[in-house]
Amino acid sequence: MKTTRRKFIGQMGLATAGTLFVPLFLKGFDSMAASSIKTSNKKLIIIQLSGGNDGLNTVIPFRNDIYYKERPQIAIPQNEVIKLSDEQGLNPALLPLKKIYEEGELTIINNVGYPNPDRSHFRSMDIWQTGSSSNEYLSTGWLGRYLDNIHLENQNKPTHFALEMDDTLSLALKGIKKSGFAAQDLNRLKRTTSTPVVKAILDSEKNNVAYSLKSHHEHSHDEQVSYLYQTLSNTAASSEYLFEKNKAGKTVANYPKNRFGKDIQQVAKLINSGCDSQIYYVSLNGFDTHANQKNAQERLFKNYAEAIEALRKDLRKTDNWNDTLVMTFSKFGRRVGENASRGTDHGTANVVFLAGGDLKKKQFVGQAPNLTDLDNGDLKFKIDFRQIYSDILKNWLKTNPKSILNADFENLGLV
Amino acid sequence: MKSTPQKIQHLYWRAEFGILPKDINMLKTTKNIKSAVKQIFERAKPIHKFSNDFDMHSLSAMKNMNGKQKKQLRKSARQDVRELNVEWVEQMAHPKKGTLREKMAFFWHGHFACELKNPIFAVQQINTIKKHALGNFKDLVLAIAKDAAMILYLNNQQNRKRKPNENFARELLELFTIGRGNYTENDIKEAARAFTGWFTNRLTGEFNFRQRAHDEGQKTFMGKTGNFDGNDIIDIILSKKETAHFITTKIYSFFVNEVEPNKKNIEELTTVFFESDYNIEKMMKHLFLQDWFYEEQNIGSKIKSPVEFLVGMMRTLNLNFKNEDGILFTQKVLGQILFRPPNVAGWQGGKAWIDNATLMVRLNYAGYIFNQAEIEIDIKDEPETKKIRVGRKIDVSANINPLMKSFQKTDTKDLAKELSDFLIQIPQNSKKELNKTFQKTAFEAYANAATNQNEKIKAWTVSILSLPEYQMC
Repeated sequence: MKTTRRKFIGQMGLATAGTLFVPLFLKGFDSMAASSIKTSNKKLIIIQLSGGNDGLNTVIPFRNDIYYKERPQIAIPQNEVIKLSDEQGLNPALLPLKKIYEEGELTIINNVGYPNPDRSHFRSMDIWQTGSSSNEYLSTGWLGRYLDNIHLENQNKPTHFALEMDDTLSLALKGIKKSGFAAQDLNRLKRTTSTPVVKAILDSEKNNVAYSLKSHHEHSHDEQVSYLYQTLSNTAASSEYLFEKNKAGKTVANYPKNRFGKDIQQVAKLINSGCDSQIYYVSLNGFDTHANQKNAQERLFKNYAEAIEALRKDLRKTDNWNDTLVMTFSKFGRRVGENASRGTDHGTANVVFLAGGDLKKKQFVGQAPNLTDLDNGDLKFKIDFRQIYSDILKNWLKTNPKSILNADFENLGLV
Repeated sequence: MKSTPQKIQHLYWRAEFGILPKDINMLKTTKNIKSAVKQIFERAKPIHKFSNDFDMHSLSAMKNMNGKQKKQLRKSARQDVRELNVEWVEQMAHPKKGTLREKMAFFWHGHFACELKNPIFAVQQINTIKKHALGNFKDLVLAIAKDAAMILYLNNQQNRKRKPNENFARELLELFTIGRGNYTENDIKEAARAFTGWFTNRLTGEFNFRQRAHDEGQKTFMGKTGNFDGNDIIDIILSKKETAHFITTKIYSFFVNEVEPNKKNIEELTTVFFESDYNIEKMMKHLFLQDWFYEEQNIGSKIKSPVEFLVGMMRTLNLNFKNEDGILFTQKVLGQILFRPPNVAGWQGGKAWIDNATLMVRLNYAGYIFNQAEIEIDIKDEPETKKIRVGRKIDVSANINPLMKSFQKTDTKDLAKELSDFLIQIPQNSKKELNKTFQKTAFEAYANAATNQNEKIKAWTVSILSLPEYQMC
């Protein structure tokens, strides 16, 4: 690769690259990135359990007969449940969370949902990611609007300020003026943004400016191409920075040897390196368990809990754990009753986890799910998920939640 | 107004997978759009089906196998799916096979998005889609409702009288036919009842209606009451013009303009589709014959999907992949693997194809090919899904002789302009800007360093294929 690249640089006549223009808006960007931006040192890690995790087999109401009656094949036997309170306990595959809970660093929020729940994967995911009501359609994410908001307050943040450990960016991180940054592998990113071709395109100052400064695009073509150029220049600026930070970050704990484990480890590295990314977004896929749920869910939980345990260990070593909040959610729970194929169908209210060194008390928020008062076979929600967002925005990210959620939500005092 | 060659090129990018270098002259000789459209539909007549020569008996023999044998069988099934994927991409890139029928089949594959893991069922579903791709939409929906892979993917196999499973009914309404806002939660429940007993034979993939699992009771669906089965439900859904509207809106976004949906044009298409009783060919023919299809606004307005990008590149550069890895790798790394849509909603498309990571691969792709370099990307494993394992090296060679032949006599000073006219879909007003930038960048120095015409053509081709503008079609 090295020889090839050198050869190509020679072919492209890029010996003069140093004298070529740096696009104007990139110059501006560089100076912004270099200046010391005053930011909160609080970190927020969002973990999305994709597919709609079954909350009733996550936090188990082990004294409830209805639970066992409705789930003859997939219920977790009482003697296997990791008991946290008189009524509720964890799925045995979540064992590492027990210690975190007992040390007061895990909050379990019951019955989280929203009015008129939507059981469609896509719609419900959009609702959770945009922070909308079920009859409201938003094209920006709640974290994207947070980025827009701090941008408006004239605190220009680099695109990697909100970082998703993935190949594509979720709606949650899409704003209008500012969006987050998707990067699955930071070493790779650095290499691909330093090829001669990319450099030559970046150097075509006139081209960049022509597209980026057009405020009114005459054609769909211009709008799309302008988007491509801007994505390119932002990528180049951020990749160098993230690469260096990732290299500097240290971790020692054992992470699961799979994609999710690696993603969480990379988050730990970046936080430990003092990276100026504030928000990290990680997904764990596979929770759409219509059939044969039990083994699949337990495998995923083991993966999840071991990664959280390792993250906590590494962040504690560098005193970052107290400034870190991990929120784990899934867009909907499942039906109370199991289906005929030892699985569960799309449901409504669900459990949300918060973890972090600053929580200081072990607690359940809200009563255990009421299995006698159902809405057509589904749990009724008690806490609006936007109340949790609101708490996080106000008390953790220190911003005005109303300007992001477009409404006031009752404070829960979670963080 | 654009010239006829430019219009025809637009037509070929949208109706097929782009024009071939050897056909540049055809652009100049074709007299009018009408005859070009006629040819497109003529070419689309043959159905290039996948042959199904997989051993079905091995599946039924599976229950007598030991762990090792089962593992081996699963491994060979995964390999078969990989080969089918590559076969389809190569068909799309093939000068004679990559027709409108394949483009439509590609569209419907994203519409009736379904993960295809079993090679026998994959062949069956894609052949079904190819067969009905330009036929009647009702036949297509009905065939999909009876398709083995879909029945298993959306759990209709678990949909029985006593415990209805709503997964298929929900997606049928939300994503496959009428779209959100036009039905109630209760309609889903009732539709699910109507589809009870629509099973498949897990071994042969044949449709299997089981009377005993079917709910014979009265159902009330979209205001109608009767002892409905799945056929009736599909009839009722298609009797609503909203269904035609939902489909043509998606067609418009895919074939015309994904940024600015034109309500009037979509309305016009909806009427044609609905009044023809869902004749797909009639609707598509209407679309390609309208002046609005060729408006400046729609030229180069669409970001190529990864498969369109790959197939287009294969056609332009006569790419010869030494093994299947390169074709699979490219799909994976750019975020679109045939047979493996992210979920039942299919690929989102448009700007969603582009993020920092995928854009870098796209811009560097031509460079990788000409320098035989490795694409340095680690493909992450997804622990919970069956996946196609791919390597990172794309072993591929390009043959740009046809391209060189076509531009042999082009004046050196016009080379960048002429080549970009052919390689890039761009509206007139943006052309000047693009041509100006050629002169100011390292690209021109690179091309000027080449000593003869062929080398200059090659140098400009690499440069142009590396531009963000090349992502558009």
